[in-house]
Amino acid sequence: MSFAPKTQAFNAKINAVTLGTGDKAVVLGGQNVLPFYTFDAAIENAPKIGVEITDTAKEWTAPGLTEFYAGCETMADFAKKAETMEGADFLVLHFESADPNGANRSVEDCVADAKAVAEAVTMPIAIMGCKNVEKDSELFAKISEALQGKNIVVLSAREENYKTVGASAALAYGQKVGAETADDINLAKQLNIMMKGVGVAADSIVMNIGTAAVGYGYEYVASTLDRVRAAALAQSDADLQMPIIAPVSADTWGVKESVATEEDAPEWGNQEERAIGMEISTAAANLTGGADAVIMRHPAAIATIKKFITELV
Amino acid sequence: MYKITFQIEGGNPVVIEANDGDNLLELARRANVAIDAPCSGNGSCGKCRVKILSGEVQSVPSRHISQAEYEEGWRLSCGCKVVGDLEVLVPDIASAYQSRMKTADLSSPEEVALFDAIQKDVCEAGIAFGTNFMALDLTMTEPTLDDTMPDIERLTWAVQEAAQVEEVKIPAQVMIKMASTLRENGFHICAKGQKEGSCFQVLDLCAPEDTRMYAAAIDIGTTTVSAVVADLESGKIVAKGSSGNGQIRFGADVINRIIEQGKPGGKKKLQDAVIKETLVPVLGNLCKSAEISAKSIFQICIAANTTMNHLLVGVDAEPVRMEPYIPSFFSWKGLLARDLKLPANPLAPVIIAPNIGSYVGGDITAGVFASLIWSKPEFSLFIDLGTNGELAFGNQDFLMSCACSAGPAFEGGDISCGMRATDGAIEAAVIDKQTMEPTFSVVGSQEQKPVGLCGSGIIDTISELFRCGIINAKGQFVRDGARVARDKYGMGRYILATAAESATEREISLNEVDIDNFIRAKGAIFSAIETLLNSVDLTTEEIETVYVAGGIGSGINMKNAVNIGMFPDIPLEKFHYIGNSSLTGAYAMALSNQAEEKVEEVAKNMTYMELSTHPGYMDSFVAACFLPHTNRSLFPNSIQEL
Repeated sequence: MSFAPKTQAFNAKINAVTLGTGDKAVVLGGQNVLPFYTFDAAIENAPKIGVEITDTAKEWTAPGLTEFYAGCETMADFAKKAETMEGADFLVLHFESADPNGANRSVEDCVADAKAVAEAVTMPIAIMGCKNVEKDSELFAKISEALQGKNIVVLSAREENYKTVGASAALAYGQKVGAETADDINLAKQLNIMMKGVGVAADSIVMNIGTAAVGYGYEYVASTLDRVRAAALAQSDADLQMPIIAPVSADTWGVKESVATEEDAPEWGNQEERAIGMEISTAAANLTGGADAVIMRHPAAIATIKKFITELV
Repeated sequence: MYKITFQIEGGNPVVIEANDGDNLLELARRANVAIDAPCSGNGSCGKCRVKILSGEVQSVPSRHISQAEYEEGWRLSCGCKVVGDLEVLVPDIASAYQSRMKTADLSSPEEVALFDAIQKDVCEAGIAFGTNFMALDLTMTEPTLDDTMPDIERLTWAVQEAAQVEEVKIPAQVMIKMASTLRENGFHICAKGQKEGSCFQVLDLCAPEDTRMYAAAIDIGTTTVSAVVADLESGKIVAKGSSGNGQIRFGADVINRIIEQGKPGGKKKLQDAVIKETLVPVLGNLCKSAEISAKSIFQICIAANTTMNHLLVGVDAEPVRMEPYIPSFFSWKGLLARDLKLPANPLAPVIIAPNIGSYVGGDITAGVFASLIWSKPEFSLFIDLGTNGELAFGNQDFLMSCACSAGPAFEGGDISCGMRATDGAIEAAVIDKQTMEPTFSVVGSQEQKPVGLCGSGIIDTISELFRCGIINAKGQFVRDGARVARDKYGMGRYILATAAESATEREISLNEVDIDNFIRAKGAIFSAIETLLNSVDLTTEEIETVYVAGGIGSGINMKNAVNIGMFPDIPLEKFHYIGNSSLTGAYAMALSNQAEEKVEEVAKNMTYMELSTHPGYMDSFVAACFLPHTNRSLFPNSIQEL
């Protein structure tokens, strides 16, 4: 008699959330097993990779990035190029310079960029804000309006602005909304409950349960991911069954391993390789912990993670 | 030298002399002008506002004072330096009401019933009431030229016979009045004292008809001090009263008080604040209202948290705050009224209810005793909602206890319009879901206008705001209407009484910060309950009875407390509000030697659990900081009508 392994799929599953429209639309989540446990049940929707493009992308200096995006001037140029990247599933427009404490770029300019990108590409679009609560609320509302029908996701609503972001992006313009909290399972659940409380449907919500580059307190992220997934699947907690998007690159490209030049830290070796390494390790850790999508930047890192996903699913 | 005049709203002006550069808050403290400063003058709480009526001060700007207010003369007194003569208005705010003394009307049957009930219950639990104090009716033969025995021998013989003892101790204070008392009363007197084994200690000599002896039981809370005076023999309450703890001006919580006492002269300042400014007037008032002499108080029992009883005795409390958190004493015998200069017979013993740890003190051991959970086979939970939350859980076989830093919200602290449960406090409220209009009841006479909110009123208001969908589960305002207002930063508040409707001509409202503070307080309580139960592998279902103690109002609406997730969602009939159990426990200890011994025993057998080092506590706390709880299934009976 041959050995028949006992499968352990859960009765509960992660919500399947669709981003984008048409052929290029992607579905996040939908599985009823732990990350990459394909031996328990088939994982229909493999984890996805979003390619990050910031509105300051022209200032990027890593040779791999400048080479890949050579000749790109506008955000739309970058986005069109990013669509061709091996492993890209969706595009992430990161409006860093909208920050009132920074360049304070106007909402109108950002909306114009987003519209130009949306007209130039076919892949689903995610919008990342500048982390300023008021500015993001306005930015998300205006972009959601401008890109109505594109089924985008805005990243993210937080406790301070979930009402306005939820009401504008999801309720008024039918987009998807990210719910972002600090590394804590209870805070994540609370925000989801409150989002549902203002009428945002559960399948319009994705989560950002907190992030960190590996080596920078990632242990907290790891344990939160574990617990969120266990609650969603093993305890059928409907308030935690939203797919998780982990914005990896925004963290990893800012840590000293990625920032320190070779003159500053000769013993660490090639700067770009370090940055790629940080991005790959953080993304892989997030995916194995339970993230349904990771947001990344470097073509080499993205290709590696794509391979990682393909081989495991 | 400058002249500083404090004009107190609703009071008489106070004048004090000051030097150049003196701090205004310090001056107010020196002049005994009660300015509420929960942060003890750090400039962080914004409560010590005063208005400069004339003169100039050198002041630092504060985010708590708006530009318009600044121009009107409003300052934070803690940030003001005196540079000349000054006239200052001290506003009559809700928190200032805290320090007002209240002598309860004993005609109110509920007040007395609580103490009758404890006496009955304690007796049923096998603890007899009665002390070794005796009032002996002595008749001696008058001395003559033929009968030349000195007074002391006459008295000694008479006491030996009446009290059936071998040894009689007569202290100096008795010796001094012996000759005159004996002669004034024709050698027929009443000797009051304490019998220990075969020894009788005479404490006072009185006229033969003056046979009454009294005991005082005192609960010294961080915020509130309550006391009763009772007949030592019958246990009948003759007076009951309460007052704010005079130490409040040195900080709202025990940590700030400990820091203050560590400063030069600090121990004396804090001891004076609680004894001279609080206990002496409270006991004086009680004696006056009962028409008894303070000298006829022969026994005092004090139930207080560890910090409070250290500060009372004048012992350094710093180790209470510092790792490894070892106080100077858990229990201590031998203290006399004269050591503390309390208004009582100077030799009256002062019993201090034993502490269990740095943060579980005599108020809890006395309270646990009064709840009688140590005498029952079923599992009971005891919750004391004071300036901190303390819990005890167990039965006749074991007892566990823990303290959780709930903060002073239950006593109205950290709440913009919060106050103690005294006259003018909104103690219960209902909100109409459609119109959002409140209906509330206020402590005091029929005509009493509201002044602020006490703990029970806050619980009701938050529960009702949540039920009516006016606030969300995080306590943020999600509905708008005439009763909901927002400040320029968008912070919402619910207006219970407009300026015109309130007694202080200041609006009474509950804002998002207040609600957030309260949610943290209730979260601390619930998560402590959860953690304590988990540690003994039990769930809330196994709790047979919950005793809720604390002076947060004349009663708590348990349904509302469950609705907001403060108490576990178990059948409401399991909850019993037992009032100020620290005081009832102290009362039992003062009137029963057996009770005193039992409290010692209970304290020794109680296991103290330190929550701050418990790995699951923080997680449980964050989950509980939500209405009613992040895990909704724990509260099936909590309602939000959408």
